[in-house]
Amino acid sequence: MNPETDERARRLIDAWQVEGISASERGWLDAHLAECSSCQSRVEANERALQALRTISFSVNPALVSTTQARVRLRALELRENQVRMRALWISCALSWVLGVASAPLVWRAFQWIGIHAALPSLIWKTGFALWWLLPAGAVAVLVAWNQRRTANQEDDTTLPR
Amino acid sequence: MENILCLFVNSMEVETREIARGLRRRDPDLLDELIGRYQYRLPRYLWTLTGSREAAEDLFQETWIRVLEKGHQYNPHWRFEAWLFSIARNLAIDLLRRRQPESLEALLHPGDEAGAQDWPDRQSSTPFESVAAGEQAEHVQGVLRRLPPEAREVLVLRFQEDMDLHEIAEVVKAPLSTVKSRLYRGLETFRNLLEEEMA
Repeated sequence: MNPETDERARRLIDAWQVEGISASERGWLDAHLAECSSCQSRVEANERALQALRTISFSVNPALVSTTQARVRLRALELRENQVRMRALWISCALSWVLGVASAPLVWRAFQWIGIHAALPSLIWKTGFALWWLLPAGAVAVLVAWNQRRTANQEDDTTLPR
Repeated sequence: MENILCLFVNSMEVETREIARGLRRRDPDLLDELIGRYQYRLPRYLWTLTGSREAAEDLFQETWIRVLEKGHQYNPHWRFEAWLFSIARNLAIDLLRRRQPESLEALLHPGDEAGAQDWPDRQSSTPFESVAAGEQAEHVQGVLRRLPPEAREVLVLRFQEDMDLHEIAEVVKAPLSTVKSRLYRGLETFRNLLEEEMA
């Protein structure tokens, strides 16, 4: 047998299993296999190896599926509850912003009136007005950050407790 | 023939779109069904990666939690399996790094540390499974253990999970040429070792 032909045949035998070969290559290989016993034994060895690989079984703990399903359902519930809470938070933020904008002229006048009647420097009552605007937003930002941190911790808790 | 192929591809696309929709909704019934569907294949793959039954079962649960949380990222143009297995693979690698950051290679080569990993053996299976698995399965497990982890992984994905080469490349995040060379080398080593064992 020609070593180059054998080498080509061996390459094709492996390629046949791994990625497939064209019809013409298959035709050539079949013709070669019909007259080359060593290449034919390589085909058989490959087939034995693949068959053996497919026989490996892994027995699963029967409770694994139900435990996993229960754990996933619980986590889905937590995520849904969290989503509802976040939605409520965003709605209240939006509402607060709309009301804040609508009432800004009135609040400005109220701060101005207090400033004049209490004889406060304008910087003080203007700072009071700014804080009136910033404090609620700041509180919400803290709340959102706290909530996100809590969610992240919960996610960490679900990663393989050891 | 083309019509049948087209019908098959279409039905697969419909299925992946339905899965994507269900994952976005975090549909628990869909997840229950998927968990049941992959209850053998996913742990087997995880066991191949970690060499530990306990880790494979933990990671199986963890994978599905991730699928629930990251479900909105699933693209229906991908085959669900490839996405699922790549999530499982990332978690397995994270676990292996956390367990022995100083020696990931050693953990990935369970055969190097006798007794460190509990590869399934006849004692750990039920009596029925032990009988069914037989002598040959034991030899095959032993041979598989001796392969490099990257070769073991692609062999399992290709010949046990029947994934095509592109899907394997997606799962292992390696170029197609790398996947092919790992498969060729892996198959050759596996075949030679198996022949030695059987001789």
